[in-house]
Amino acid sequence: MKKQIITAFIGIIVAFLAGFIIMALQGYNPAASYYQLFSYSLFSRFALFTTLNKAAPLILTGLSAAIGFASGAVNLGQVGQFLIGAMGVTAVGLWVDLPAPVMIPLLIAVALSAGAFYAGIAAFLRVKFNMDEFITTLMLNFLAGFFTLYLISGPMIDEKMYSPMTPMINRGGWFPQFGGLNFAFFLAVAALAVIYFIWNYTKIGYEWKVMGRNALFAKVGGCDNQKNYVRVMLVSGALAGLAGAIMVLGGMQHRFVKGIDANYGWDGVMIAIVANNGVIGTGLYALFFAMLQTGAMGMELETSVPSEFVLVLQAITVLFVVASRESAHLLFNRISVLLRLRKVRSQERVSKGDDSDAAFD
Amino acid sequence: MQLLIELLRSTIMAATPVLLAALGGTYTFYSNIFNIAMEGMMLIGAFMAVLGSYLFGSWVIGLLFGLAGGILAALIFIIFAVYLKTDEFVTGIAINMLALGGTTYLLRQIFDVKGAFMSPEIVAIPTWKIPLLHDIPVLGKLISGYPFIVYVALLAALLVQFHVYKTRFGLRIRATGEDARTVDSVGVNSSSVKSISIFYSGILCGLAGVFLSLGYVNLFAENMSNGRGWIALAVIILIQGRPLGILLMSLVFGFFEGLGLTLQGTAIPSQFTQMVPYLATLVALYFYSREKQTGVEVEEVEAV
Amino acid sequence: MVNAKLNRPDIELIKISSLVKIYPPATLAVDQVDLTIKEGEIHSIIGENGAGKSTLMKALYGLIPYNSGKIYLRGKEINFGSPKEAVRAGIGMVHQEFMLIPSYTVLENVILGVEPTGYFGVLNKRKARERVEKLVEEYNLNLNLNARIEDISVAARQKVEILKLLYKDVDILILDEPTAVLTPQEIEELFSRLKRLKAMEKTIIFISHKLDEVLELSDTITVMRKGKKVTTMVNENLTKSELARAMVGREVVFTVKKDEARPGDEVLRINNLTYTDRYKQERLKGINFNIRKGEIVGLAGVEGNGQFELVNCIMGLIDDYQGEILINGVRIDNLSILERRKLMAYLPQDRKDTGSAQDLSLISNSIMTHHRINPGLTGRWEALLDPGASRELTGQIIDKFNVLIPGIDAPISSLSGGNQQKVIVGREFMLNTDFVLLDQPTRGLDVGSIEFIQKEIIRKRDSGVGILLISADLDELFNLSDRLLIIYQGRIVAEVDPAEVDKEEVGEYMLGAKGVAS
Repeated sequence: MKKQIITAFIGIIVAFLAGFIIMALQGYNPAASYYQLFSYSLFSRFALFTTLNKAAPLILTGLSAAIGFASGAVNLGQVGQFLIGAMGVTAVGLWVDLPAPVMIPLLIAVALSAGAFYAGIAAFLRVKFNMDEFITTLMLNFLAGFFTLYLISGPMIDEKMYSPMTPMINRGGWFPQFGGLNFAFFLAVAALAVIYFIWNYTKIGYEWKVMGRNALFAKVGGCDNQKNYVRVMLVSGALAGLAGAIMVLGGMQHRFVKGIDANYGWDGVMIAIVANNGVIGTGLYALFFAMLQTGAMGMELETSVPSEFVLVLQAITVLFVVASRESAHLLFNRISVLLRLRKVRSQERVSKGDDSDAAFD
Repeated sequence: MQLLIELLRSTIMAATPVLLAALGGTYTFYSNIFNIAMEGMMLIGAFMAVLGSYLFGSWVIGLLFGLAGGILAALIFIIFAVYLKTDEFVTGIAINMLALGGTTYLLRQIFDVKGAFMSPEIVAIPTWKIPLLHDIPVLGKLISGYPFIVYVALLAALLVQFHVYKTRFGLRIRATGEDARTVDSVGVNSSSVKSISIFYSGILCGLAGVFLSLGYVNLFAENMSNGRGWIALAVIILIQGRPLGILLMSLVFGFFEGLGLTLQGTAIPSQFTQMVPYLATLVALYFYSREKQTGVEVEEVEAV
Repeated sequence: MVNAKLNRPDIELIKISSLVKIYPPATLAVDQVDLTIKEGEIHSIIGENGAGKSTLMKALYGLIPYNSGKIYLRGKEINFGSPKEAVRAGIGMVHQEFMLIPSYTVLENVILGVEPTGYFGVLNKRKARERVEKLVEEYNLNLNLNARIEDISVAARQKVEILKLLYKDVDILILDEPTAVLTPQEIEELFSRLKRLKAMEKTIIFISHKLDEVLELSDTITVMRKGKKVTTMVNENLTKSELARAMVGREVVFTVKKDEARPGDEVLRINNLTYTDRYKQERLKGINFNIRKGEIVGLAGVEGNGQFELVNCIMGLIDDYQGEILINGVRIDNLSILERRKLMAYLPQDRKDTGSAQDLSLISNSIMTHHRINPGLTGRWEALLDPGASRELTGQIIDKFNVLIPGIDAPISSLSGGNQQKVIVGREFMLNTDFVLLDQPTRGLDVGSIEFIQKEIIRKRDSGVGILLISADLDELFNLSDRLLIIYQGRIVAEVDPAEVDKEEVGEYMLGAKGVAS
């Protein structure tokens, strides 16, 4: 755990340094830019709450990817499940009008099932026809993209607007705000807690974990891998669907806007990867990514570094954190070999007797 | 007739980038590298090609820039995946994100636009009118007058086939994919074999990118590779790497994309016609998997 | 051969001095070893699994770097950076796990790495074929160059490995445990081939842990233990127990003591089990046998004769077989794996791929199957797992089976092979089922762990459990089995009493030379 924190730290520092150099080469002031990045994402209540609100969908797509990867289900369909979840709550939210205490739970249920349903298609194709979910989920992403675009530019379009989007959903479905902090954040944290509990304290979570590490061992041990795989895909899809829903229910616009998915799906994949598919780590890196993305706006405003720069920074961070995880391991090994060698040499000629080395493979 | 010729022409045009990327992926497929960075290699290639062509007013420079872009992405892949032992899947995802983010950023930074950059000063790849054949009525229309990269791609399919199956490097690359330790034990460095194969795939994906932004269209748009790298990967998996099969399969996908384009302007909403290549991938995967599934016993255990 | 004349007995060919190899993070595999190999001799290096023999040779061969020490070849210091350099200097190695590309032909495997080419790197196979054919003839290897490796027998693959070296003109051959995969008859053939090579002035380094073989074959014997060289002796008037003592460091019991079996009720019955795989190959042909409580039934056979399929049928990993399998009189053919696991314990042959999840903790590896079967592990609700009880079960396994661990939360991969296997054996034995299926329970372990596990197996039998033991190690089968079945090409070709037959006879059955009816 401690080693993990250190390598993550090293990776992030190196990534920031790389970003520093890139900015400097292009004639920006890197120090000022970084200062603005932090100041607009952390240094005021408003900034902090904006970051937390931004983190909500990232936590969910990150969890979606993490739980899938950790269980051996390569669900790369967060984008599609996100869109279908968002579309599901938009459709229901437009046509159903109920008081918030009933409407919000209903819409959450719709979001979960819509996302699960869409991931379920890929799971079905895998179980029934042995089609690799890694490709099917990707293709389903594109299909969901075109399909929702069709809906919002045709049947569901708000004709008063200039670009494709639906009308606003009924007020009962809007998430409440708590002094600028959206209900969506609490929902995401609750989801995180539930997944953490499942992962660590239930039999099914244990079986998912083992399946992700060695599916054959799980199978021979009596676990029903097929059922577990389907369950993981459904849960993973539900989480991504919920992420899409909160962009409608908890967003500014309360409607399905073209480009609503931004890059949340792939951000989630990256977050899961840097977090090494750990649940807590996913939460932390989601906050980190949210901080970068929130701060980027301020950075652009103050130092005119295009906000797209954080996209680069994120990708570099992923590479360096993961690479430093591996290299730290190699480095650690090299050092311990040297230490051992020194011990061996110092023992030279002291004794040729038996020592108690454990047998190795 | 006119429509049919148009359809076939757009088939060939649409097939070319997928074919080139898939040929690049063939190398990594045989050396058993999980290369999902083709999408990103292509995107960087496409951006760099436009940049070079625009800045120097020359498609040759554009081409060289594009190839350099693909190679750059390949080098990143090599450094991280082969030498720093970072997971290939992770490296691939990160390169794709880096490509997407980096090109979007540079689009803003260099050209000061969002979304897409077009300009009359971007010099496109020249087309090649095959002498004599070009003037034959139907046939000439069908096979002549494409950007010359189309012909390069066809030639590349043959060359890759030959390279992988008939040469020393081919023997080593396939052996590396099957069992890298064995290759090391006979004194061939499997890491360099892997690196070289990634390098080739970078060049070919870069070329695919050049074709996208200087041949297929004449502009750069955010995320303009638009899943073609993934489709190329699907093609490789479906065909299990044989280059000539990949040529055929790419044409099939090109046909569906061309069909989608041809159907535009009919009553069918364009969003549905655009779905066609992705649906086609799913259908192809269905047939492939069903074939493979008959009597899966013990392998299936490890698969799920 | 004890009295064989050495070709040039006094020339020091290879001299290794004070070599150290440490595997990361800190496993001392070779500890300051000095070794001299003379030209033209057959020099055996023996030691237990994990004694450092293979590591020492891999370091010599340039496959792995070593940390300190020097190696001299014909008096000149060398340090091969890769096997390529070693081969150029005339040293070749046949690894314990064959280094062959399964889908390539024999010819392609032989030329890999030293391919003759024409222009543009185009392969020139015809040129290669001529040379290889000549070698096959010269050394009487009897190989089809166009056959794919995956289609030929293990013994033939070994010949390909030797051919690979001859093609590269090496004159020093290192063979790492070459007999582990062979039947007694094939071992004889290998030995005569090696002696022939020696007669042709090759030097051979032979790694083994089997004493009889080493005594039969070698001119010189070096014994290694725990990474150190114990001694080097000329093979004259050496006895097996002398060698064994040097190898293990104490007196070794060659047979585990056991009492007469007292078989009770039938626990496993297999009726007419037939299985055809998806390539329409009949893998199992009408298998019939039974096992009673309190007996160990051994299954001998060359690998690939249906053992794998038999295990998978019993386990439920293959479910489209014909015939019946009954445990305690209950047909299990339509039961799920979990339902089967309530009736039987299973020790898979591959502890890394099937028996454990290497990255997960000892606890996660210890509670597998128990978590569904043992109500004690359930938490407050049926769906929950009780962390305290899981930890306790793991502790029990560790205590009962003498497992040496760095910590209960450490990944199982941080344990030595022997200790990992003890965890797996413990987990399975503590399921307390009436029937236990053991597939290669001691393969690749050190002598201490082998002894421990074999004793546990006998104790399990004596507690009234029926055991099916599948092993490639004939010694183990003879030591433990009360009855011995022999499988050949998917058929049980014989059932023998291990007390009344010898290994050669069983070997003949295994090769199909005897007992194949119809």
